[in-house]
Amino acid sequence: MAGDYLPNDLKVLWQELTTNPVQLTLDDLRKEEGKLRKGIRKRSVVGGGAALIAGVLWAVFFFVFPNVLQRIGSVLTVLGAGYGIIQLRLRPGHVMPDMGETESIRFYRAELERQRDFHCAWWLWSRLIILLPGPVVWMVGSVRAWPKAATLTWWTLATFLILAAIAVPLNLRLARQYQRRIDALDAWQKG
Amino acid sequence: MQETRASQDELYQRVAREYGPTLGRLAYAYEADEDRRRDLVQEIHIALWRSFEKFGERCSLRTWVYRVAHNVATSHVIRQSRRNGLTFLTLEEAEAEAQHEYVEVPADRERARARLLAVIQRLDPIDRQLMLAYLDGLEAEEIGQITGLSSANVWTKIHRIKNVLSRRFHAGGHDGR
Repeated sequence: MAGDYLPNDLKVLWQELTTNPVQLTLDDLRKEEGKLRKGIRKRSVVGGGAALIAGVLWAVFFFVFPNVLQRIGSVLTVLGAGYGIIQLRLRPGHVMPDMGETESIRFYRAELERQRDFHCAWWLWSRLIILLPGPVVWMVGSVRAWPKAATLTWWTLATFLILAAIAVPLNLRLARQYQRRIDALDAWQKG
Repeated sequence: MQETRASQDELYQRVAREYGPTLGRLAYAYEADEDRRRDLVQEIHIALWRSFEKFGERCSLRTWVYRVAHNVATSHVIRQSRRNGLTFLTLEEAEAEAQHEYVEVPADRERARARLLAVIQRLDPIDRQLMLAYLDGLEAEEIGQITGLSSANVWTKIHRIKNVLSRRFHAGGHDGR
């Protein structure tokens, strides 16, 4: 039929697509690579810095607030923050296979696994288990120490727990989506 | 070390010259937004340059370039899909969808190209790679080396690609083998 496109015509049509050429000099590339490395360093410094600030703050709380529960909460928070910093230093991010040496399917699968692992399993639970108890116990102690501010503290605690309760199923749902993709990819490869 | 760097730089410059348009088209297939597309092309160029430090001619330069470019683009698509959800179509789903639609032949080449892009951009990253490699005129064997699929599997996929394209670009949407 006149005007119809056969697959071979579509190849020509596709190859005729003109794009703006990217002009990157070798200097640009080196600068960009430097920025990339700086960005990675900055992210771990920010993560470590936040944990360090929380640790220092709750360490001060330990000496400032005499209530037993507040003190236990402070210790737990300091330990959690310390664990977070050690994890950041010891455990590098998920290592991806080399881009040029890895066939696309293996790379795609590795990328999906990385996303799945980020949203579930040990990573999610370890973060919550380590980070949650300290502040929660500390807040319960605060209610005992300052009964007048109890309503505000309970509300804060409730908001904190609700956010955590939302984050868990949301992360697990995303992890399931990635797992379904991985299963589909495995099935796809077979036939 | 200096020798490695020189050959890394030379390889990159050669690839940027020879594969620039291919990489630009590839970015079109993976990213519709112009600004993000520019970033993606840049990301691909940086990844290629870095990868040439390890290029040991275990495969052809073209296979290497396609692998790196598609792998960077795949990571990009997955990052983007965190916001929009994983709503890609497989070739099989695209084929089934096209079967039930009445298609009008595009009025001109620009519209035909826009339709082609729309078809490609909805595909799952691996199916998208197959479609792009096919449209770029790569042989089945080379597509297999890039993706990791067996030749028989590549041929089956190419058959499906032709079906999808025929149904999307023939009046009435019939199978046009």
